[in-house]
Amino acid sequence: MDQLLETSRRLSDLSARHQRPIPVSGWPDKVERPRWFTSPQLISLYGTATWDSLDEIARQELSFWEAVSFYSLNIHGERLLMAGLAQRLYRPGLDVVSEYLHHFLAEENTHSVWFATFCRQYAGKIYPERTVAFGADERADDPADVADFLFFARVLMFEELVNRYNVTMANDDLLHPVARRINADHYADESRHLVFGRRLVAHLWREHCAAWPADTIAHVRGHLTNYLSSMWREYYNPAAYLDAGLPEPWALARATWSDPVAVAHRARHTGPVLQPFVDAGVLDAVTAG
Amino acid sequence: MTETDVRATLRDWVRRRAPSASVEIADDTPLISSRLITSLQVTDLLLLIEELRNAPIDPASLRPGAFHDIDAIYAAFFAGEA
Repeated sequence: MDQLLETSRRLSDLSARHQRPIPVSGWPDKVERPRWFTSPQLISLYGTATWDSLDEIARQELSFWEAVSFYSLNIHGERLLMAGLAQRLYRPGLDVVSEYLHHFLAEENTHSVWFATFCRQYAGKIYPERTVAFGADERADDPADVADFLFFARVLMFEELVNRYNVTMANDDLLHPVARRINADHYADESRHLVFGRRLVAHLWREHCAAWPADTIAHVRGHLTNYLSSMWREYYNPAAYLDAGLPEPWALARATWSDPVAVAHRARHTGPVLQPFVDAGVLDAVTAG
Repeated sequence: MTETDVRATLRDWVRRRAPSASVEIADDTPLISSRLITSLQVTDLLLLIEELRNAPIDPASLRPGAFHDIDAIYAAFFAGEA
């Protein structure tokens, strides 16, 4: 508990020193296309036969719509995250981290403004979500300690995966400056959220798991494994393929999901995303693999 | 695709994800309350429905009960298209 309190205080100080203004500034009224907005190796079709059939302009156009898809995914994830954080600000047992939860909430709100501004200003749309996530998908009969654990575990898993994309694109000279800046700024704030999330998830697991019956632990592990799969599914968005002018977008999403190249891509990222859960004892290496 | 084909495709999708192969899936079998499908599988199911309709769906427009059973799914997403 002392360690959690110390982490919460230290991260609160850092957040206070790195506050960012909510309105975006210095962004152009329009972004010129074709340009790269998503790093090629992170585009869902990268390395597949369809990717090979596209010329450079078509790939860059897809990179724009996949950026809109990635930011839309972040908007929906952060909206549910903010709702869940707000519900837990003063929850008994979480009071030691209450101060940092306020910073966390404020930073997520700022990020959503960046993402929504890009989507609306440059694409004229935010893609709708196809998932029910944080806060809304606990089992109705989950006790509060299980629901809280699953909420913070899902938040951590979501941010671990997003962070892997952010760090790559923050350092990619190919990208349009606006796309690079969004990823760089998001990465900087999320680094603190990850430190917090890893520590809190490990703390909550240690605190509760010994008292949970075997079927609750199986439920928690199954839920997190399914959540990861559901989250990855959102990265293959037929609406983005449709906007990029690709034919039969739903069949393409289905085929790409099962393509060995895409399966290998997910496997490369899934290991590091799940490592904090393995380290904390939430998942074992076999489950995580 | 005919109504019969759509319903058969939906039943097959549910059957492949059922916790036990012996579970019988009829068009009026409750899917959510019996936990044959979970909210985390809705992404996958929506993608299948969109592909069958060849048109996107905005989940924000969905009415409660749209995934109650296959009859409800057909009524919510396909009935107006015949």
